[in-house]
This record gives sequence, structure tokens and C-alpha cells, in this order.
Amino acid sequence: MMATAPEAPRPRTLRETLAGGAAQLSSRGSTATTAAALVGALVVTGVVIAVLGASPIAAVRAIVSGSLGSTYNFGQTLSVTAPLALTGLAAAIPFSARLWNAGGEGQLYAGAIAGVLIALTAPPLPHVALAALALVGGMVAGSLWASIAGILKAAFGANEIITTLMLNFIALLVADYVITGPWAAPAASTTKNIPANATLPIIWSGTTVGTGALIALAAVVAANVLMKNTTLGFGIRAVGAGGDAAKLAGFRIPTLTVSAFAAGGAFAGIAGAIAVLGVQYALVANISENYGFTGIAVALIARLNPLLIIPSAFFFAITSVGGNNLTATTGISPSASLIITAAFVIFLLAFGVIKLSYPERSA
Amino acid sequence: MHSDALNPREPASGHSADAGTASTPGANPVVTMHGIVKTYGSLRANDGVDFDLRPSEIHCLLGENGAGKTTLMKILFGLVSPDAGEIEVQGQRVKISSPAVALSHGIGMVHQHFMLLPNFTVAENVVLGSESNFDLRFRADVVEARVQETANRFGIGIDPSARVGELSVDAQQRIEILKLLYRGAGVLILDEPTSSIGPKQIERLFATLDELRHQGRSVVLITHRLSEVVDIADRVTVLRLGRVVRVAARGNFGERDLARAMVGADLPPRPPRKPVPPDAETLLRVRALEVVREDGNAALAEVDFAVRRGEVFGIVGVEGNGQRELAEALSGLRSPSSGEIEVASEDASRASPRELHARGVSTITEDRLRYDLIADMTLAENLALSDVAGGRISSGGFLNRRRIRANAVRLLAEYGVSPASPDAKAAALSGGNQQKVVLARELSRNPKLLIASQPTRGLDVGATNFVHGQFRKLREQGCAIVLITLDLDELMALADRVGVLFKGKLIYVDDAIDVSMEKLASAMAGFEPVAA
Repeated sequence: MMATAPEAPRPRTLRETLAGGAAQLSSRGSTATTAAALVGALVVTGVVIAVLGASPIAAVRAIVSGSLGSTYNFGQTLSVTAPLALTGLAAAIPFSARLWNAGGEGQLYAGAIAGVLIALTAPPLPHVALAALALVGGMVAGSLWASIAGILKAAFGANEIITTLMLNFIALLVADYVITGPWAAPAASTTKNIPANATLPIIWSGTTVGTGALIALAAVVAANVLMKNTTLGFGIRAVGAGGDAAKLAGFRIPTLTVSAFAAGGAFAGIAGAIAVLGVQYALVANISENYGFTGIAVALIARLNPLLIIPSAFFFAITSVGGNNLTATTGISPSASLIITAAFVIFLLAFGVIKLSYPERSA
Repeated sequence: MHSDALNPREPASGHSADAGTASTPGANPVVTMHGIVKTYGSLRANDGVDFDLRPSEIHCLLGENGAGKTTLMKILFGLVSPDAGEIEVQGQRVKISSPAVALSHGIGMVHQHFMLLPNFTVAENVVLGSESNFDLRFRADVVEARVQETANRFGIGIDPSARVGELSVDAQQRIEILKLLYRGAGVLILDEPTSSIGPKQIERLFATLDELRHQGRSVVLITHRLSEVVDIADRVTVLRLGRVVRVAARGNFGERDLARAMVGADLPPRPPRKPVPPDAETLLRVRALEVVREDGNAALAEVDFAVRRGEVFGIVGVEGNGQRELAEALSGLRSPSSGEIEVASEDASRASPRELHARGVSTITEDRLRYDLIADMTLAENLALSDVAGGRISSGGFLNRRRIRANAVRLLAEYGVSPASPDAKAAALSGGNQQKVVLARELSRNPKLLIASQPTRGLDVGATNFVHGQFRKLREQGCAIVLITLDLDELMALADRVGVLFKGKLIYVDDAIDVSMEKLASAMAGFEPVAA
């Protein structure tokens, strides 16, 4: 290295660190527009709730107490944060390369299917080994499932929004087959339960919080390292922010396209495996409460930054878990909480606080 | 007489004497533009331009890219509002604030990129916007018959019931023209209409334009192709750097003098430099290179040249004669259809950008924010771009972030980039500083061969001098440089040898010391200079 000592690296502020990941998302949002978007979303949801015949204040109180009000409820919220963070990563990583992954749901199912099949069919193994094997199997399955869309894009220029969406249907139907087929539990729409030594243990007694939450946390950290500290993450961000310049600099666009999907799908696959191994202990119908699709919104609100995925997923988990309390306390449908999340996403997009452009790129 | 006042201002070179006669001498102009000024920041796109258009004439607006042709016509069509100047239509002062106003005065424009709906029929596209949106009696057959009638009147061959998406580019162009005629436009502005179609289609387009002229319409043809001007223009106005340098009527212009007006009158002096030793190693050899564009037309043919160690080979030509394709082929972005490219005596005809980097080739493109830099990434990331891609600044897939940062700090200081902050986004820098970042990355790896396209386009004098200084240093160090440029000052300042591209062929190659303005201008106009 040169003898001239470069200026001592200034410690990066948290803001800079967080800003590092959002390569191609430009945020025009000043504090004022962000505030305006949030106020707009609150007003709209308040009006909707009032029209439904409940007090908006009571509804917010119901959501907060339903999601954060007790140890059990808080644990529930954490348990839902985990899969949302993982599917958020599944969307965010391909998005960073300007590739739209609308297939988080299918990739989650692929992970769940692989996880349950490994747990049910593997020879007897010690506890940690079998659970780990099933988890890794789920991750690989999600990754491969997403790679199909990547390969179709790289080889034929097939529109990835369409292919990932269609792959969702296939994965769901395969899951139906597994649930009703040779591994079905008698008289129930679920597979047989997995053996005890394949399960992920609960780590916080009195709640539903399991090892899955820790795995999700580790996944977020890993994704952050992937995007900011590896050549692959650099390449994905470079392709997303300037495809032609990345190409001329020597990045291989087809390889990066497949890799971005493979990396994203791996995280959705983990989410599916966790749902089987740590929550349901079987593959059940509707094992995902639209986590794959909500993950897209999670990624957008987090501006594709892995570290911001956690608060973003937590926010969606609050509205989702808290929504269940709406009926009990206000008498309106729990679906009303979906209106809240949707209103927030729409207002943030409309005010340009989050902004994604999708240029048509020839293959 | 009214029209006297419409004559363009006396240009510096004094060519206006031949501006008098047109196809309809003495007729009052349909459009006159006086003293049009339009500035973008420090750039004067139009700097006091006078222009007039007479009835039944085809008037070519000629000039290099950036000369101000399109800006002038966008002002006439109401897409751009001028900073100063006046417009008269049929002798009446008008203010054209939007395309709708322009159309109401009978002025229409066909853009380089067509504005057609591919899923609609020809007739639907033609009438779109000129019929009421809420006319429930809209009947396809009636509309088609009306459109067919207009097409027949002007001899435009088109099937009104065909779907636009299924038609060829030249047919779509005819629809755009038909659209304007259907609305009764008397003045049609065509922006580079021949850049996207082949020779046969150009012939057909010109036949249509000829017919329009006979029927009393006026056409403005924006172009940088000299042969077209000579083929079809009744009059020509040549723009250079935002000013009118020449106005001439048919019979008073030829390709050579137009080329000269377009590129400038005098060749700057060539600063002395050490000659390249004749036995210097050949670092780039191009043999019988041929490149065919996506539309099937040949962009380059029979291109042969060699560049030696420590030599700058300057390539000039009127824009659009194959320069871009040549740069792309040499930098690995485009595969040649045939022929050979050898870098340091090894074949590189099909080498990827990555392989070329590894073999010591650096590239500076003409489109800085598309190919050279990623606007939304930091300077440190931009400086590391090709090293990361080539795996030279990482181990086991993990980036060496400390080295990336240290390199950036060093290079930013060395090349005097402002701000010298590795965390600044490339988009936040001025054009000159962005170019310094590109140079820092491409030159710091000590290339054997540099492919540079218009490396000083859009830069101010200081930044231009900096770039030229770096190129000279590189040449001293023994790098071979291919310099593709439109700027003759730059050519003479740097090149050891000069080649002129015309219609994809290198029709003239000479030592820079023997080049004259006459030779360059006639080669750029397509004449092979007589061997001296």
C-alpha cells in the first residue's frame, strides 16, 4: 500500500450505515413528505374504521394491546416478525438487482415441503442434526425454486414477475399433494406430525417464540453482510443501479440474475422450513398467511436495506397480530388491519417516500 | 420588402450571399424565427438563431449533435420555450406555448421516437386526438375510409386497417406523417427521420416528401447527413454550436463545403510531440471488421487499422457513421459479425469486457452515466467497479472494504476530484469531476490500450485540459490510444494518426501532420481524398 496514510476512517454514523444498502431506491422523501404520508395513511384508516362503526382510537388501542399488550401477545408478534423478515429479504435481494420477485409465497412453500419431507423421511438422526438438515433442505429448496425464474430470465428474457407468480401456483399445488398424499394425517388437511427430534424448540417459555426467531435474526445479519461486504452483493447492487455500467465493468449479468433469485429464495425457503419445524410441526394448508406477498411490502418499506427489514417486518407483524384483537374489542373484522398496512404502503409510495422504478430491460 | 428582414444574419464566414433563391422566390415565408436564444445552464444551445421557412420547400437543418437543431425545432413546436426571440407564422407574431398551439398554427413534428399505440390500427392512431373522445358514432370503416382518402391524396401507401405494432419502422414513420397531414399541418418538422431506416426506405420517404412539396407543404428535415441535404433540400441552414454558420439555396452548396461549415472553418495548430518510433509494437490490430446492427443494416464494413505502442489514433467523422459501433466492438460490448480484433497480437474478437480488462484494455465511453459510472453508487464503489467484477479486490467472495476505501481516497486526491469524499454518490458530482473519477479508475490500472469515445464531451475548458494532459501522460508511458471524437480541436491536440469514418468505412487514414481541413472535410463528406 502507499506510504501516504489515508485520512483515518471516520466512524460511520448509523444513518450512513443504514443508507448503504438501498442502492437503487432513491428516497426523495424529506421529513415533511414522510410525515404527510403517515398522516394521510392515518386519516384514511381512521375514516375507514369510523365508517365500519368503531372508534378509530379504540381500534388503534385494540391493535396495540393485541400485539404488544402482554407477554404472550408480544411473543406472537415476534413469531410473525420472523417469517415476514425472511420473505422481506426474499423480495429485497432480487429487487436490489431490479428484478421483481413476486414468488416469495411459492419459495416459502418449497421450503416448507422440503422441510417436512426431510423430517418425515430421513433416517433417525440426533435432534439438532435432523432439524438442521431439514432447515438446510428448506433453504435449498426455496433457493432452487426461485432460481427457475432467474434462469428463465437470464436465458430467455422471460418476465420474472409472471414466472415467479406462476411458480407460486405450482408450489401450492405440490403442497396440496404432499398434504393429501402419502404423508397425509388421517382425516385432517395436514401431513403427519414431524418427529420430535426434527422440531425447533421454543426458546421463551410462555410464548410461541421459537428458535425460528433467532434464525431469522441471523438471516438478516447474513443478508446484510451479503449485500454490503461480498462481491455477489456488490454485483447485485451494481446491476440494479446501472446495468450497462456493470456489464462494461465485467460483471456477468446472467449469473448475477440467477444468483439474486437464488439468494432471495433461500430466505423464503428458510421461512417455510421454520413454519413446519418450529410452528406447525406438520405441513398444513395455508401454512403461510400471505407472508410471501407481505414480504414485498416489508422490503419496500425497508427500502431494500436488510437492517431496516427488522423494524419493517415488526410493523407489519403488529398490524397482523393486533388485528386479531379488533373483533374482540371493537366488533369489526380483523381484516381491517390489512387496510391499515395497505394504506401505509400506498401513501408512502404515492408521496415518493419509497420509490421503485422498473425500466423495461431487453434480455 | 418583408422577406429581406427575414434573411439570416450575416454569418462570420460570409456565406449568406447565396441564400437568395428558393423554389418559390419572393414568396412570403410561412415561418420565421428571429434571434432565438435558449440556454441550458452554461450551454447556449441556440445563440441568436434566425431561421425562415418558405412555402413548398424542403429545408434541411444541418449540424453536428449538440449544434442546436433539435432545440430550435422543439421551440417552433412548442416543446421548449425560448429565453429570447420571436416567431412569426404567415407574417403574424405568435407565441407557441405548447404542441397544441403549434398544431393550431399548422405546425407538426415527427419525433425520432414515434408516438404510436401499437395495439391500435393505423386509422385509429391517425385520428386519435383529432376526434372527440366521446363521439359514440365512431365507426371504424368510416374513419378508415377518411384516412385512406388523405393517404391517397399525398401518395402515402398504407393500409388503414393494419395494426401498427405489426408494421415496419418506415411504415410507422409514414403514419406519423399522415397523422400531421390529417390534421391539416402545412409545416412538417422531421427529426432525423433517416437514422432508423435503410436506404430503400429513405428513397421512399424522400418521394413522399417530394409529393408534399408539390402540394404546397413545407418540410423541415433535421439531419446530420450531408448526402441527404444534397439529394433533397431546396435550402439548407447549417448550425454550429448554437449559431447559424451558413444558409444556402439549391445550386449553391455541395457536400464538401457543407461538411466544412458543419465542423468549423480552420484546423487548430498541432502541438509538436515526439514521433512514434516506427518499430513500436502493435498493440491493437483490426482487420476487415464488420458489424451489423440489430436492424440488419451494416454499421461497419472493411475496417482495417493498427495502433502502436505510444500512439494515439484519432477517429473522426460525422456522428452516426459507425463510431459508436466501433467503440462497442473494441470494448467487448458488441460482437463483430466478421473480421478480427487483436490486442497485443492475441485474438480478442469475441472477448468479454472482463477478459479485455484482464488483458490491459481500458474504456471511456461517450455515455458517462450509462456505461462508465453508476450514479447511485458511491465514488469508492464506482472506483472499485471493475476490480470487484474481476475479483481483484476481494478474497473468498468477501470485499476488501478497507482497500477499496484506501484506493478511493488515494485516487480521488491524485486526480483532484471534488468532493474528494469516497462516500459521495457519483450523481452528486459535476460532469468534469465525474469524468475525473472515470479516468482515475481506467488509467490507474496502467492500461496497454485505451478506447476513448468523446472523452471531453460536455466538459469545461479546465476539465478538458486535465483529460488531455492525462492522455498525453498515458501516451508517454507507452499506452496505445484509440480516440473517437467529434471535436477537431481534440483530434489535433492529441492524435498521431487520423482516420475518418464514413458510412461505416474508414475511408481516409493519414498522419496527423499531413492532415488539412480540406482533406478532412471532404473525407467526412464521403469523398476519398486523392492520395497526396
